[in-house]
Amino acid sequence: MTIEDSGHSHLAKIVWERVIYRRRRLYAVAGLFLLLWLAIGLASSLGSAQVSPVMVWQVLLSLLPGLNLSSNIPDTVVTIVLDIRLPRILLAGLVGASLATAGATYQGLFRNPLADPYLLGIAQGAGLGATIAFLLPFSLAATALGLIPVLAFAGAILSAGIVYAVARVGKTVPMTTLILAGVALGAFLASITSYLLVSSGEQLHSIVLWLMGGLSLSHWGEVKILLPYILVGSLIIHLYSRPLNIMQLDEEQAQQLGVNVERVKLILLFAATLITAAAVCFVGIIGFVGIIVPHAIRLIWGADHHFLLPLSFLGGASFLILADMLARTVMGTAEVPVGIITAFCGAPFFIYLLRKRKRVIF
Amino acid sequence: MLKTAKYLLVWLLFLAVLSVSLLACEADETKTNLPAEIIDQLGRTVKLEKPPERIISLAPSNTEILFALRLGERVVGVTEYCDFPPQAKEKEVVGGFSTPDIEKIVSLSPDLILATSMHQKSVIPELERHNLTVLALAPKTLADILESITLIGRASGHVDEAKELVEKMQARIDRVKSLTAGLSLQDRPTVFYIVWHDPLYTVGGDQLHNEVIELAGGENIFGDISGFPTVDLEVILERNPGVIVTSGGHGSAENSPLKWATSEPRLKVTEALKRGSVYEIDAETIGRPGPRIIEAIEAMLRFIHPEL
Repeated sequence: MTIEDSGHSHLAKIVWERVIYRRRRLYAVAGLFLLLWLAIGLASSLGSAQVSPVMVWQVLLSLLPGLNLSSNIPDTVVTIVLDIRLPRILLAGLVGASLATAGATYQGLFRNPLADPYLLGIAQGAGLGATIAFLLPFSLAATALGLIPVLAFAGAILSAGIVYAVARVGKTVPMTTLILAGVALGAFLASITSYLLVSSGEQLHSIVLWLMGGLSLSHWGEVKILLPYILVGSLIIHLYSRPLNIMQLDEEQAQQLGVNVERVKLILLFAATLITAAAVCFVGIIGFVGIIVPHAIRLIWGADHHFLLPLSFLGGASFLILADMLARTVMGTAEVPVGIITAFCGAPFFIYLLRKRKRVIF
Repeated sequence: MLKTAKYLLVWLLFLAVLSVSLLACEADETKTNLPAEIIDQLGRTVKLEKPPERIISLAPSNTEILFALRLGERVVGVTEYCDFPPQAKEKEVVGGFSTPDIEKIVSLSPDLILATSMHQKSVIPELERHNLTVLALAPKTLADILESITLIGRASGHVDEAKELVEKMQARIDRVKSLTAGLSLQDRPTVFYIVWHDPLYTVGGDQLHNEVIELAGGENIFGDISGFPTVDLEVILERNPGVIVTSGGHGSAENSPLKWATSEPRLKVTEALKRGSVYEIDAETIGRPGPRIIEAIEAMLRFIHPEL
């Protein structure tokens, strides 16, 4: 074999490896997509009401044009499946997807494994907004929106904005300053929220339950409002996969490689904040999804954001759908706040993954 | 001379007998049943030497009982939630429901404090450390409520007023019972009681509200669970209640369980909405284990059995 031959075969090997790499991940995307549908199917069949899965599927399949299998099914069951379970499952999917995607984005931007979607004080901002909304004597009589989601959203966006403005030094935003500003503002907002909680009287129970996160009483209106935010925000983030990959190197190096680092940071922060705020304002602060799902994906399939982002999106959706299913069913007619389920199930699974893949260094 | 002396003696004896019997009468009026040792509803033994003049109530239900027993003038401290009767609002406030201000209480020098089971762990021991007399009421059933009225009557010396009130209440309860006791299961509509709509929670089978519903001839659809559980909307649809009773008096008219029950589209498929059997009951009337519970029972009877 000549030098040229071995050079060619070496090049061929690299190209081939890349093809395999990509193909595996595309299979993964397809696989997780399928898993998502299975999760939706499973979650629809189970619930606190004793509705047989056969009836559930009769109702669901009748949604397809031309099929009508549900003529003999009582009104209450149809309402349960189509107006209670299905919107709730889809909302769980959207929220899980957005939290996981935002988490992956923050982890990429900050190059910090502890980053989660609530880093910039967003959770505390949303919490304060919601608490104020609960305590105000009036409520918004607007369509699907109540005062609580509106103020929670505003609170989240405002805190992120304040943190960004505070951390800015001239034209740049140093990441460490951003984190610290987020921690400081978060603590400040949390203290105000605590004070309001203490003086909230009879609303205390409702507010605390909201803050723990939950999907009860979800309806189609919320799904319809959330969908465009999540899709648009996630799409924007995905379009920046390549700059995100490059930014895993030093910021200076990335800048030298042609990435407009400050602009990418701003756009990604904005998009990730937007989808997090939108998710959180309807369901409260659900933790663990944003930090565990992207890490698990990264541990299995690597950190190439072209795949990490869509896989996180799909994985996050399935994860929260299944977690919410457990939240609804594990205690009979009572409901466990879904944040407890995500922590309970997510943490041990994550530890298992860490033990299994010791090669990965953060 | 001897005759006058005899007359005098008889007079004196007569006066003596008269004054002794008068004294005895007076003693009866001021002492009634006290001093006494009363066992309260937490099993504590409470010693009372004489009728208390300065009474503090740590719960709205106890305040209502005090006023109903005509002890209103002796009440020197109430909680911030004690709003019935209206005279109660003019009394000195000693704190919230679970957060009474011990300093304030002590400064008012009460000789009787009416507490509840909620105060058992920390408040009552603290009050006892200040050598204050505490009578704890912990009614969980209708019978307990009547007993608590009797206990307060005994502790305050107003035994007759207590007896009168208990008899009146028992008569009204018996009237309702006579109307509903003979109903078969089919004639007892299923009832869904909404404590609050966001989060959605209801009352379980072990609560006072449940007893009120059953006495009024209904069946609580969540009688099989206990406490104040949060419930899923789909279970309500599955159990399909015939009557929905919402708790009112909290929040605004726009943000109330009644508003939610009448406007939530997914409830339209239930029996209750189809028949238009959605009602509101004042949360404090049904929630306070006091004299007004009988009004709650009668209201519930009208909701569940308008035909009776």
